[in-house]
Amino acid sequence: MRYAILLLAAPYTNQASHSALRFARTLLARGHQLETVFFYQEGVQNAARLASPPQDEPHLVDAWSALSREHGTALQVCIAAALRRGLLDEREAARHGKQGYSVEPPFELTGLGQLIDIGLRCDRLITFAP
Amino acid sequence: MSHAKPRDLLVILRRGPHGSSQLREGLDTALVAAAFGRTVTLLFMGEGVTALVADQKAGPLGQKGTAATLEMLEMYDIDRLLVEASALEQFGLGEEDLMLEATAVSQASIALEPASHRLVLVF
Amino acid sequence: MLLHTLNRSPATSRVYQQALAAMGPEDRLLLVEDAVQGALPKLMRYFTGLEGRLFALREDLVARGLEGQCDPSVQIVDVDGFVLLTEEAEKTVSWY
Repeated sequence: MRYAILLLAAPYTNQASHSALRFARTLLARGHQLETVFFYQEGVQNAARLASPPQDEPHLVDAWSALSREHGTALQVCIAAALRRGLLDEREAARHGKQGYSVEPPFELTGLGQLIDIGLRCDRLITFAP
Repeated sequence: MSHAKPRDLLVILRRGPHGSSQLREGLDTALVAAAFGRTVTLLFMGEGVTALVADQKAGPLGQKGTAATLEMLEMYDIDRLLVEASALEQFGLGEEDLMLEATAVSQASIALEPASHRLVLVF
Repeated sequence: MLLHTLNRSPATSRVYQQALAAMGPEDRLLLVEDAVQGALPKLMRYFTGLEGRLFALREDLVARGLEGQCDPSVQIVDVDGFVLLTEEAEKTVSWY
């Protein structure tokens, strides 16, 4: 089946990001496709390029990137929720006159319409929330 | 089932205005879906009924709140607004206290809603 | 048949009431994260009427030291079982 995940919670604040990652790996191991992980609300913090957790804790940002590289999963971040919270890719940083940027591929900033699209197109959408 | 043809999106709103971004970001989801031509139902549950209270204002720092967004629903053809009857009672609110026309629904009809939409999002 | 997930303890949050209100007669409820506390015999009263339709996620129970304390009427599933529940259900609704 084609799955999508909606993640609404910040990493390291709530368990949700860990739960979502665990669920993602398991559904892939069961032979399903994970088309997209969509990050919305505080979930956009999962895309923070500069996140530097202690070495003995799971590195969620890296784990999402690895998942995307290995399985072709799109990592889509709601642009309106991200900009408000200081999460800008190189292009948005330049557009807003900011030095440095905080989001990089494979995370991509995208519109909320994508969430509706994947939610209606995929066989299953599973939400993980704070 | 309550509908022959399933509607596209059910957005369940269970937070009040101003205290968090939950309500605003839930409403944004509904508006975007409607802008893409999807059929949307809003269901206000629990504390979410206070989102509909009339005479809301901006916050002291100019925080916009959500009342203005609610007023835009009609323009986006979102006209199916349901509100949990027991929550209205719990908050001592009547339909006349609400800024928009919403249908008060019993628990029995609420239980039919998720199955009659293709996608259900809770905020 | 829909799957509903709940991640808040019924001892702390009333969101479980909204989840129960929105459940159809065949729908299933999976307790995850802090909601697994609801699988304890003393907290089972919050979920009466769900016999045979109430599940709890094993690894969240194990992490909290609660696996051996569950009410026998709760079906305990591992994360593979969680995915299976989402396969079997037409859609999943998450309450938090």
